[in-house]
Amino acid sequence: MSAAREFYVGYLPQAPPALARTVRARVLLFLGLGLAGALLITAFQQPFSKAVFEFGKVRSFEGRIEVRPYPMLVVERPGAGDASRYLLVAFGKHGAEAEVGALAGRRVRLEGSLVYRDDQTMIELAEGSVEALDDSVRPEPSPSQAVDSRTFVGEIVDSKCFLGVMKPGNLKPHRACATRCISGGIPPILLVTDAEGLASYLLLTDAQGGPVGAEVVARGLVAEPVRITGAVHRLGDLRVLRADPSAWERIE
Amino acid sequence: MGHAYQAVGWNRQKKIYDRTLLLGVVLYLAVFLGVGFALHPEATAETMILRALGTAAFMLLHVVLAIGPLSRLDSRFLPLLYNRRHMGVTMFLLAFGHGAFSLLQFHGFGDVGPLVSLLVSNPRFDSLAQFPFQLLGALALFLLFLMAATSHDFWLTNLTAPVWKALHMLVYLAYGLIVMHVVLGVLQAETSPLLAGLLVLGMIVVLGLHLAAGWRERALDEPLDQLAREGFVDVGAFEEIPEACARVVTLGGDRVAVFRYGDRVSALSNACQHQNGPLGEGRIIDGFVTCPWHGYQYKPDCGASPEPFTERVPTFETRIVDGRVWVSPVAQAPGTYVEPARHPGRAR
Ligand code: FES
Repeated sequence: MSAAREFYVGYLPQAPPALARTVRARVLLFLGLGLAGALLITAFQQPFSKAVFEFGKVRSFEGRIEVRPYPMLVVERPGAGDASRYLLVAFGKHGAEAEVGALAGRRVRLEGSLVYRDDQTMIELAEGSVEALDDSVRPEPSPSQAVDSRTFVGEIVDSKCFLGVMKPGNLKPHRACATRCISGGIPPILLVTDAEGLASYLLLTDAQGGPVGAEVVARGLVAEPVRITGAVHRLGDLRVLRADPSAWERIE
Repeated sequence: MGHAYQAVGWNRQKKIYDRTLLLGVVLYLAVFLGVGFALHPEATAETMILRALGTAAFMLLHVVLAIGPLSRLDSRFLPLLYNRRHMGVTMFLLAFGHGAFSLLQFHGFGDVGPLVSLLVSNPRFDSLAQFPFQLLGALALFLLFLMAATSHDFWLTNLTAPVWKALHMLVYLAYGLIVMHVVLGVLQAETSPLLAGLLVLGMIVVLGLHLAAGWRERALDEPLDQLAREGFVDVGAFEEIPEACARVVTLGGDRVAVFRYGDRVSALSNACQHQNGPLGEGRIIDGFVTCPWHGYQYKPDCGASPEPFTERVPTFETRIVDGRVWVSPVAQAPGTYVEPARHPGRAR
């Protein structure tokens, strides 16, 4: 009896044999197609960045806290340049303001996990690990030097995700997360990619060098092309772009 | 007193179905994650898991949507339809995993609650390309939840079949929302033409199968519609008329005797020319419709008595479609030859 003439009754325990063979073959075909789909989709994802988040690995650091424009740990080192600057953030989508905001200029020891990509390094603080080492306060924060005034086209990202906590940590699928991060105090970065695909990182501030997270969120300019004209300042090994947020332009 | 809803026995078929389904899902996730991490060692586990769950759910949704039209095109797909609700619920669970994990990952641990964040974190409702695609996915997930939650027969009975059916037609809305969720979301960053191509292929398959099944059903309906437009009337199944006998029907006020003989059907006025005897209660003897009262005879195809007799009765056009006999209510002049309808499966 051919499978087409057999009649399937689902509540009977045994399907007719020819029908069972046909169904089995088709189910295997479906399964094969599904697995081929899995293979193709997973293989054809965009390459993932080499950025690193040392999740679960806690290290100890010593340095001086600066809080303007965003919290960072300044670790002095020998050689050219005065120090390395590590952006500081807290757990989740929170900046480090609450942990270190009151410690501007103080020497501290703290613990945290490294996040790094290209020449940028960040520390996600281990909660409650910051301890001031003495009472001395360095009166002047690092001087920032104006080096250039230029127009950049790039994408605003939240530094924490983009530097390695999430991959991908930019573009539209990540917009909501980046918005939440920046709203929570994570420093916003203007990501500028040149023709060769090399990325430059510009820490965004307002025209006076103050934080601009709230303005970035209010203007909804995250994760899409923007044009920003401003003065580039050098803050140790970081580059800072000072520009009035009301003049930032969305590129449709 | 309501009636009890017994769990339909988890018979052997259902167990095989569920085991195969589960095995398929596990294999899919294993291939996606295994091959994915082998090819992309720098990838983060969260992203991989999100994508594995999301694509598995979407892939399974294609199967769920394809089984219906496939079963209409080929009854050998019916065994897959029989337990489709388990496939639907499995698909919802995968989608829920994708949605819940995304909500935690992208909206959790922030300065507002995750659900608030979902609503406010992408304010670009004014732009198509920048549209908050996550809300589209969340809405689709809500619809899938409604369907998964009402998949049990309890709801089919209590919502009544039409309401339940309408509710479950929302799967097409959910499918559309998910397509937009993918197009306006991940495909904005994952720009490989192969991924967009797979999405389009999936849409072609889903749409194509539905069109093919719909077209086929229309093709079956078409001759009937045509007959109905011409005024023919369905008088019953060919098989219900005993060989060499008639069924009597009233068409347009006239009684018509519809005779079956061999693979053929002919319709005559029921009234014998002799004394109005009921021809339909007669039989076909020696190839002639024979009146039960006094034995007058008529040829079934033209209603004329054999030479040298001159009696004639009106005839009617007949058709056989899909095993059913259709008769035109328009009486032909007595003695008019009408080609007998033939049943293709009954040729001698
Ligand atoms: S009525 Fe038909 S044979 Fe007399």
